[in-house]
Amino acid sequence: MDSSSTEMASTEPNVYLFVPNLIGYARVALMFVAFYFITDPGMYHVTMTCYLLSQLLDAVDGHAARMLGQTSKLGAMLDMLTDRCSTLGLVMALGLLYKDWFFFFQCYAVLDIVSHWLHLTASHYSGATSHKTIDLSSNPILYYYYQNRTVLFSMCAGNELFFAALYLLYFSEGPNFGGYGFFRSVVICCAPVMVLKSVISVVQLIAAANNIVVVDTEEHTRAKE
Amino acid sequence: MDSTEMASTEPNVYLFVPNLIGYARVALMFVAFYFMTNAEMYHVTVTCYLLSQLLDAFDGHAARMLGQTSKLGAMLDMLTDRCSTLGLVMALGLLYKDWFFFFQCYAVLDIASHWLHLTASHYTGSTSHKTIDLSSNPILYYYYQNRTVLFSMCAGNELFFAALYLLYFSEGPNFGGYGFFRSVVICCAPVMVSSVISVVQLLAAAKNIVIVDTDEHTRAKQ
Repeated sequence: MDSSSTEMASTEPNVYLFVPNLIGYARVALMFVAFYFITDPGMYHVTMTCYLLSQLLDAVDGHAARMLGQTSKLGAMLDMLTDRCSTLGLVMALGLLYKDWFFFFQCYAVLDIVSHWLHLTASHYSGATSHKTIDLSSNPILYYYYQNRTVLFSMCAGNELFFAALYLLYFSEGPNFGGYGFFRSVVICCAPVMVLKSVISVVQLIAAANNIVVVDTEEHTRAKE
Repeated sequence: MDSTEMASTEPNVYLFVPNLIGYARVALMFVAFYFMTNAEMYHVTVTCYLLSQLLDAFDGHAARMLGQTSKLGAMLDMLTDRCSTLGLVMALGLLYKDWFFFFQCYAVLDIASHWLHLTASHYTGSTSHKTIDLSSNPILYYYYQNRTVLFSMCAGNELFFAALYLLYFSEGPNFGGYGFFRSVVICCAPVMVSSVISVVQLLAAAKNIVIVDTDEHTRAKQ
């Protein structure tokens, strides 16, 4: 009766208020705070704290979603977009701070956006549910990369640390350990990870384009028949 | 026999004419990027950048005329648009340092709103990001309904940033006491400001995605 329709309405979940999504909004807020202070030399501690806190919360929202049964497409997009935009904002600032390397940072930003976007699109067209579950049989390099969660996490973390440390290095050498500046050391150690991850992004981009072309070729071939 | 016949008639999507135009757009974009902070080369930068944007009008037509539309082409088109804007806005953040936060926010809004919109379209089954559910939002309805309005808004927006870039290096030709580049910036500023319409697009897309999510969660409970 009427009671059953009010019953229905009250049990309809409010996806906007899912815990992982609330965490997501906090991530976005922290990101914008970091952006606001990013070029202010007096505030680089605040910038980095907010930025890294935002990235740290990224580990929490996925778990919260699964534990509470509150996974959502909104949450997945919020997660992905915050990752991409945080990186983008930081890389923009690095292009400003390290002017001689501006073209490199421009290219990096473009590669990051394009490889992820193309990959996600290819997944949609071939029906995968998450951008992290790809067709593992199609590419041996990506297979190894995605197969091992620890490898995946370390690569992402190392990549983030490279750019974060590079930002910090502009303002300070950081704590000194036996004659070595900490920030510089992190930059040097994580540089190979950043390079490797970029190579993987290119592979991912090409693999995604191939997947999309497979769908296109099929459509065109069927249309001719 | 039959299989070689099949293989020779299978189209090579990578070599579709509109996609070749797309690759040219990407090449021009990278050339523009390379010279973007070089004060001597700003003519080259803007020429390549605007040529890339101009070709954008052609690849769509070529695709339809030759029956060579493809998902690859659509993505190439969209991504080149986004990345060109991104690269230019990055440079503007460098040149106009005091406005860096503004350009950062603009870049992020541009990427996020288009990406979310495209994703929402996929989940609700639309074929092109320009064909949206027109009944759902009156503001977007008017924006997308009229192709001329849509084109003028996009062109005005692009011209704003291109002119702002040029203005850093030069006032440009002088018309009756008014610098051309500065005039374009001022005239196109309202168009750029109204690209805050991206926020509406973003919220509408989020809403569409939430509808799909709510549906899934409600069905799972039953």
